[in-house]
Amino acid sequence: MSHGQGSHSHHPAHEHPHDVAEHDQDLPRLGGPVPRVGIGGPVGSGKTALIEALVPLLVAEGHRPVVVTNDIFTQEDARHVRATLAGVLEEDKVVGVETGSCPHTAVRDDPTMNLDAVQALTERFPDTDVVLLESGGDNLTLTYSRALADFFVFVIDVGEGDKIPRKRGPGITASDLLVINKIDIAPHVRADLSVMERDARMVREGRPFVLTDCFSGTGLRQVIDHLRAAGVLAATRAPV
Amino acid sequence: MQRNGESTAPPAREAPEAMSLAAFLGCLQLTDSAFPSGRYTQSSGLESFVQHGYVTADSGRQGLTALLVDQLEHAVGPTDGVALAWAHRAVSRRAPGQELDLALAVEADQRLTAVKLAREVRESSTRTGRSLLRTATTVFGGAALEAFSGAVRSGATPGNAAVVTGVLMAQQGIPTDHAVAAELYAYAAGWVNAAVRLGVADHRVAQAVLHAGRPVVERTGRLACRTALADMAGSTPLADLMSMRHEHAPLRLFMS
Repeated sequence: MSHGQGSHSHHPAHEHPHDVAEHDQDLPRLGGPVPRVGIGGPVGSGKTALIEALVPLLVAEGHRPVVVTNDIFTQEDARHVRATLAGVLEEDKVVGVETGSCPHTAVRDDPTMNLDAVQALTERFPDTDVVLLESGGDNLTLTYSRALADFFVFVIDVGEGDKIPRKRGPGITASDLLVINKIDIAPHVRADLSVMERDARMVREGRPFVLTDCFSGTGLRQVIDHLRAAGVLAATRAPV
Repeated sequence: MQRNGESTAPPAREAPEAMSLAAFLGCLQLTDSAFPSGRYTQSSGLESFVQHGYVTADSGRQGLTALLVDQLEHAVGPTDGVALAWAHRAVSRRAPGQELDLALAVEADQRLTAVKLAREVRESSTRTGRSLLRTATTVFGGAALEAFSGAVRSGATPGNAAVVTGVLMAQQGIPTDHAVAAELYAYAAGWVNAAVRLGVADHRVAQAVLHAGRPVVERTGRLACRTALADMAGSTPLADLMSMRHEHAPLRLFMS
């Protein structure tokens, strides 16, 4: 399926994240100018863990991230991120948005509440240089609106079974970056990483993917390299 | 199937009817995307256009509007719109003492199935229609709806969504032209919603396309109200091909 979010050749936002509405030029960018990374994927695949692992690395590089999480019923993810990142990221730089039990609606069909949260958070912290958005846990059909995310990261994990990449779905095939997380548990769940790599390469048709273990840090540097290459991480100043 | 000529000839231009507030509210309820008719499962061929690269994120408002307008003018209006108008008349112009001119409703229904070329398009129309019937007979009831429902259950008629909607809207006092326009609007709203889910439009582009399509809904709806039942026909060869290919697509988010 040709999909806007993952279609590098057709998506001007990848070269110019600050001008995401370039193809519909009279539509102004919503949510403010700060580049936004949308992270989505099934429940339990490691979206929160990825954010919790990325933020300290980004801060160490001199970036000023903020985080918007989407929870199903509770503010559990926002609380978890705040607690894990205590001492790294101010608590107020993490906000949760309720989604009315529709995680995909909140990031795709009607992203207005998330855009409002992004706008408010980046206005409150005007030195913010990147926004990390986490969708509520959903299924393989979740995608981000092009109006909400400049770069779409889809996270699956080894524990879901090594057949997941070949099941495809728009997140797996057309996201800007596919993250296959929890590679450390592969032997315990009888998952063959080489099969996952082979299938991911086949269904992604040249789009990138990274194997990660968010707890040990494996693959995280590659994720940051992809964000930088896509232009969503601005040149950094020295950490203060 | 051809009934005796006169009753299904092109109607003279009908004077616009005023719509009561009750009918207006009924119209809102039936066209609301929250109404459980299963319309959200259909992309009306758009998924196939996307899969084959005819529609992309770069199509923008102009490209999406052009395709939607073609679908409305050359497919939905002259087929579903015409069928809906005649199904509506099967209630609103029934003979005294009749609940429904069942023969007229059945003819509109059968003709509509006959002019839908792709299997997938026919099946999604009747699945949606039967689903609408099941919900509507419980929620709204009514003699005309019950009579048509009985004909569908007995296998006498397929039960296309547009025909069920025509009977239902007439029963609620919604005038013919409003009923047809409402159905075309609901189609357009479902179509742009599918565009969002397929990633070729964001929420603003979708609403802009829907707004741009409004005069076409109005014009096409009026034309459908002036079309003879025997003249019901659509012509969208590429869309038909896309639907036929969609039947064999290995990956599908939508039923059509």
